[in-house]
Amino acid sequence: MVARSRIAGFAGAEGRVVARFNAPRAARVEANANGTPLEVNHRAVALVREEWRVVDRWWTEESVVRRYFEVVLESGENTVVFYDGASGGWYTQKGA
Amino acid sequence: MIACLTIPGLELKAALRRTPSLALRPAALAPEPQGEPLIGPVTAAAEAAGVQPGMRLGEALATCPSLALVEPDAAGAELAWEEIVHALEDAGFSVDPASLGVAYFETRGVERLYGGLEPALRRALAAVGTEWDARIGAAGRRFAALAAASVARPGQTVVVADDELPQFLAPLPLTLLPLERGRYEELEALGVRKLGQLAGLPGGAVAERLGPDGRRAWGLARGGTAARVRGRRPPAAVAASLEFPEAVGNELTLRRALAGLVETALARPERRDRFVRKVALAARLESGGSWRRTLTLREPSADPDRIRVALSPRLAELPGPVVELRLELVELTEPTGHQLELLAAGAEDRSRLRDGLRQVRASTGSGSVCTVVEVAPWSRVPESRALLVPKDE
Repeated sequence: MVARSRIAGFAGAEGRVVARFNAPRAARVEANANGTPLEVNHRAVALVREEWRVVDRWWTEESVVRRYFEVVLESGENTVVFYDGASGGWYTQKGA
Repeated sequence: MIACLTIPGLELKAALRRTPSLALRPAALAPEPQGEPLIGPVTAAAEAAGVQPGMRLGEALATCPSLALVEPDAAGAELAWEEIVHALEDAGFSVDPASLGVAYFETRGVERLYGGLEPALRRALAAVGTEWDARIGAAGRRFAALAAASVARPGQTVVVADDELPQFLAPLPLTLLPLERGRYEELEALGVRKLGQLAGLPGGAVAERLGPDGRRAWGLARGGTAARVRGRRPPAAVAASLEFPEAVGNELTLRRALAGLVETALARPERRDRFVRKVALAARLESGGSWRRTLTLREPSADPDRIRVALSPRLAELPGPVVELRLELVELTEPTGHQLELLAAGAEDRSRLRDGLRQVRASTGSGSVCTVVEVAPWSRVPESRALLVPKDE
């Protein structure tokens, strides 16, 4: 999911890469029948603090359909995960 | 001798590099997005079908319904032209690029190097390559060299000796002269269609009827004045470009991207602490074309804010969404051009920070130190809000 594009110098500059900041990372999530996460990367979810949806760029070929969850893990760590409706996978993301 | 190298229709040839199959079909350079609907240069097939460069778009399509329009690629054409001029300079010629597709140079300095005038001109054509259909005219004066180039075929050189000049210029058309369109019509109405006819008129009468421009054209029709060609100073090759993950039309995003580019270009080691005199902002458009504007700063500067403020209004002139934005520092001052502070405020902290970053780069490799550049902070998609741009120096 990390989009990489080129930033090129005019002369003598080697190929340089621009990356997206806060790009999503694939995560292993176990969810219940409602789609609510129960486990994130083998760590149990203690609490779902918030849930929201993002539907954007539906007018393009790369539409964004995501269901976000802000969860507290049993270790006490806060994390944000989302289910990507387009690819059918789970991801964690910072800065959401 | 003064030589003039011309590449007719360079803009079209540069644009056709993206779609070479169109080169053999009737095609013309599409009108500029916000300009008059006049087509640019045309291919040989289009010309054979009756389409002329400068025709109104509607008239051209009516004349040749199968005419393909090629999106202008101004930045691509300028880049290609710069490569051509650079190739000539590499071959030892001191080049004065008068306009896109027209360059002058003196042959005197290199004739001994290449064994005479003709071999030197052939060397210049070889430096440019066969792809562009370049041609060269050489004569004792600039205008005569341009006129000679205008009658040369692709890949050919035409040399006009001084004593043959009046006879050579006489049958050539008036369109070679730098006159407004209305002036040609005025002269044609007076029965003057060839350079020789204009040159034969009394200079005072021409000046009285056509004004200073007419007088200048009359002088050129008689061969022009003997002036030396002054080669250009090669431009500084410092630039930075940013390719967007998706086309961007939002001005605020573009402004932020521009700010990042200014910082990146100014940080390039090739700049070597020199100040920026002239900059160019270019963009590759989503539609496939390109856009480019140059700007000479009021005074040389290396202040990113000042350069950014000077360039930002140009972003409003962009004709459409952009997939790549590019900033070139076209002209730089000499390294000693400006008096700086003896001890800049915070210089020690900055130098320590720079040292630290250099250390990180040395241990983890190029591209490991990045700047976060906000491009769309309002976006609902978190990864679209900012980019990580490598900061190598």
